This record gives sequence, C-alpha cells and structure tokens, in this order.
Amino acid sequence: MRALRFGLGGAVLVAVPWIVAAVAPGQQRYILHVLIFTALYGALALSYDLVVGHVGSLSLAHPAFFGIGAYTAALLATEAHWPFAAALPAGIAAAGLTALAVGVPMFRLTEHSFAMGTLGFALVAQIVATNWVEFTRGPLCVTGIPKPEIGPLRITTLPAFYWMGLTAVGLIGLLYHGLTTARLGRAFHAVRDNEMLASAASIHPLKYRMLAFVIGGAMAGGVGTLFASYVGVLCPTELAVSLTVNLLVMLFLGGVGSLRGVVVGAVAFTALPEILRMAPTWRMVIYGLLLLVIVIRAPDGLEGVIRRRSSAPRRPSASGA
Amino acid sequence: MALFEARGLTKRFLGVTAVDAVDLSLEAGELVSLIGPNGSGKTTLFNCVTGYLPSDAGRVFFRGRDVTGVAPHRIARLGVGRTFQLVSVFPRLSALENLLTFLQQHQEEGVLARLVRAPRVRRFEGVAVERAMMLLESVGLASRASAPAGSLSYGQRKLLAFAAALMPDPELVLLDEPAAAVNPTMINQMKDQIRALHRRGKTVLLVEHNMDVVMDISQRVIVLDHGQKIAEGPPAAVRRDPKVIEAYFGR
Repeated sequence: MRALRFGLGGAVLVAVPWIVAAVAPGQQRYILHVLIFTALYGALALSYDLVVGHVGSLSLAHPAFFGIGAYTAALLATEAHWPFAAALPAGIAAAGLTALAVGVPMFRLTEHSFAMGTLGFALVAQIVATNWVEFTRGPLCVTGIPKPEIGPLRITTLPAFYWMGLTAVGLIGLLYHGLTTARLGRAFHAVRDNEMLASAASIHPLKYRMLAFVIGGAMAGGVGTLFASYVGVLCPTELAVSLTVNLLVMLFLGGVGSLRGVVVGAVAFTALPEILRMAPTWRMVIYGLLLLVIVIRAPDGLEGVIRRRSSAPRRPSASGA
Repeated sequence: MALFEARGLTKRFLGVTAVDAVDLSLEAGELVSLIGPNGSGKTTLFNCVTGYLPSDAGRVFFRGRDVTGVAPHRIARLGVGRTFQLVSVFPRLSALENLLTFLQQHQEEGVLARLVRAPRVRRFEGVAVERAMMLLESVGLASRASAPAGSLSYGQRKLLAFAAALMPDPELVLLDEPAAAVNPTMINQMKDQIRALHRRGKTVLLVEHNMDVVMDISQRVIVLDHGQKIAEGPPAAVRRDPKVIEAYFGR
C-alpha cells in the first residue's frame, strides 16, 4: 500500500513536465523554472536540516558550502574545461573538505558562539568571492558555465533540468532518510537532545556533529554545482547570508528535523513568493510575519499540522526541545 | 587488584576545593555507597571519574588502566555505566528507543554499515530489541515501551534511566541519587533493582541521601565532607562514627 502510494507519487512527479505542457502550455517555461528552483531549494534545505534539525547545531555557514561547491565546479568547468562528471564530484568534495576543516575549530564553540562563528565564516566566504577578482571574477560573476553533460546524457532543456533537480532531491532525501532513522538517527538525536547523556551512552558527540556538518556541507556543495550549471552564471551574491534566512524559514515553516516537513517547507517557500509577486515591496514583511505566526502558532511547522490532521498517534509536544 | 580506583583525586572550582585528595577503591562485585552532606563533593567526584570534569590532581584507574582525562564516551565504552542526579532520559524518544540508544555504539559498526543497514547490523538490532524489552520488563516498564520517555512519571523515568545504563552490560555502574524525589513504592523497587544488579556480580557505586536505602543495601559506605573522605567502613560502623555524626548534625 505504502509502496504503491510512493510509486504513484513518484510517477506523477516525473510526469510533471508533460502535465504542465498539457494544462498550462503558455506558462510552461515559467512553471518549470519555478519547479527547478523548488527542487534545488528542497535539496539544499534537506542538507541544512541534517545539521540544524538532527544534531541541533545552528550553523549559519551553509551559503558558504553551497558557494564553495558552486565556484569550484563552475571555475573548473569554465577555466580548466573539466567535464560535468568530474566537476560535480569536485564541487561536492571541495565543500565537504571545507566543512571538515571549518567544523573542527567551530565545534569547540557551543550554541550561540557556534552560530556566530559559522556566521563569520559565511561572511568571509562571501567577501572572498566578491573581492578575489582574479580568481572568482568578483562582481563580474563567472559566466558561460556549461550545461551538464554526462556521456550521452545532455541536460539542456527545462524538463531535463527539472528531472535533474528531482533526482537531486531524491538522492539527498534518500541519504537524509538513511542517516536520520534507525541506529544512526538515534545517535544524532541523542547528541541533539542531551549531550551529556549521549556521552554516557558512549556516543561521541563531536563525531556525530561533524558527520552531519560535513555530509550536509558536501550536499550543499553538490546543490551549488547543479544550481550554477542550471543558471549558467555564478555571482558572489549567491553566497549571501540571506540564503540562510531563507533556509531557516523553509525549515521552520515545514518542520525542523522531518524529511516531509522540510520538503513541504521548501515547496511552500518557493511557491509563496511567486504567489506574492504582485506585492514585491511587501514580500519580506510577509515572510517575516509568516515566520512569526508559524513559530508561535505551530512550533513544529506544517509537518505538525499534517500529522495532527492525519490523526496519527499524537506526539506530545517536545518537552526536551 | 581493584576494579576501580581513584588516587588523590582533587577538583577545585575557583579556589574552592570540591574534591580534596580523595582515595577510593572498589573491588569487583562490591556495592558501595558514597554519602555526605549537600555540597560535600559527591557528584563532582562522579563527574571527575567518568570524564565529565577534568580533575586538577590525582589519577583514576579502571581495570588497571589509567583513564584519567579520558573522554566520557570512551570511559562508557570501557564498561562504566552511570545515571545522572537530575533525571536523564531522551524525552522525545520512546522508552524502548532510549534503551537502544545506549547499546548501539557498542558494536562499533562503521557509519556506512549502519547507513546501508548491513545484514549484520539488522541482526544485531533484533538482539538489542530483545535485550531492551527484557530490561524494561525487569523495571516494570514493558507496557510503556513505545511511550515517549517524556510522558513517563518522574519515578518511571528514573527507572528507565537506570535500565538504560544497564543496556551495554557495564561492569561498573555509578548511580547518582537513584532514590531522590521518588515515592516510597518506587524506592523499594529501585532498591530491589540495585540488589539484583549486585547479585549478578556487577560493581555498584551509589550516591544517595536516603539513609534507609544506603544502610540497607551497601556493603561499605564512604563519607565525604567538604571534599574530604572523613570515614569509610561497614554501614553500622559509619553510622556510629562521631565524625560522620558531626558532619551531618554539627557539633
């Protein structure tokens, strides 16, 4: 039954380009473009939630890993003419290794200091991207980033990019699920909920924090690579700290620490601005208000609402959160 | 050779000596209580020997191995289980999951094996669930196995924390006030549990304020006052020790 529902849902998602073409032929390009961004945002939000939702470390460095992956792959592709099949792993590795190097000193800090430390790193990353003009081209941006090409597979059309985005969410979602459930998930959650008790359970808190931070960072680098190859242009503004704010809105809107919640949050977040397009000046105000309402009225996000609606056995409000 | 030994253990906080050159030795299979007035350094001593606090002087040995300054999760892995004074369970995890959390690291499986759910990992999971259910049964919480730990009563959470500490089958169990703020029925249950643990040959170090519990079950009592060991011996002798009486009631 469950497998059937998953299969059906998957089939519908794969068929979206044709459905859109049939239902709204005039709007096809626009809708697919929004959906590609939704998928990439969803994948990025999942990678971020590994750190924020599952080991409970409020890292503000995520845009840096996204950017390091994107810049590594984009520069390798444009300057050194690396094929996509090599540039993508390089982008992932560069972001992951940076997370490894940054994580060790950062995790000596706790709570607010950790947030501040990672924020500092994110700011430095953006400043480097902006000012190291000889290397990153600075505000002139990296342009002419080639479309992905893996052997005979060429991703050039909007539907192809949509499927690429869908594959990214699928793979990252699968890895996210594997990491956050069963035995590994329990270790992550133990560290998040009570570090002292986790140690008594012979779980090494730093090991699991680093694991989430590095894997999350590497994933963000991968999403950054895909993003750059889709847009074709990469500017330092993509590393802006405001990206973290967007990701946090998605997480809290959808439900921190929940696969479905985060995906729902990413969909709601990217769809909403499009719906709010008529009022561009009020957009940020509406975001802000929305976040306030969510945090106050539904602390476990849309996921909590879905769960209550589906009358699943109620989880008590998290007293340890 | 003693199973567990602390020699000259000292811990200072901003000039206050919380633990002052304490020697402590436990033979395998002993049930020993550590008592003393509030602020006498019992919990600090616990935290120093389990790696939660760095000590300023002295050494700690477990099974003849020097474990001074070793990280808490490593000490736990060597076979030292402990509970905390303030009830410590993972409130969002179910009672069963709480216990499973305490076992999982002991197989030392790689992250990848756990990620892909290797057959070996799955097999062990079955064994682990069985053991966890047996422990829940023994503390009378089997019927609450799937309830979130946060929904249990205070006493039940203490029993759960106790069962969780036993999950990896530690040689030495340090219990920090297992009977504090627990109703009398639960206290009796806790006492039975500790006795049963002792009968199974485990070594137990108990910090407890409830003198009935201490005098009733301990083989040996160690008394701390102002961080110093002032008395040590069988419960009956310690109870009559003038130094102990003075520490508790004043002159």
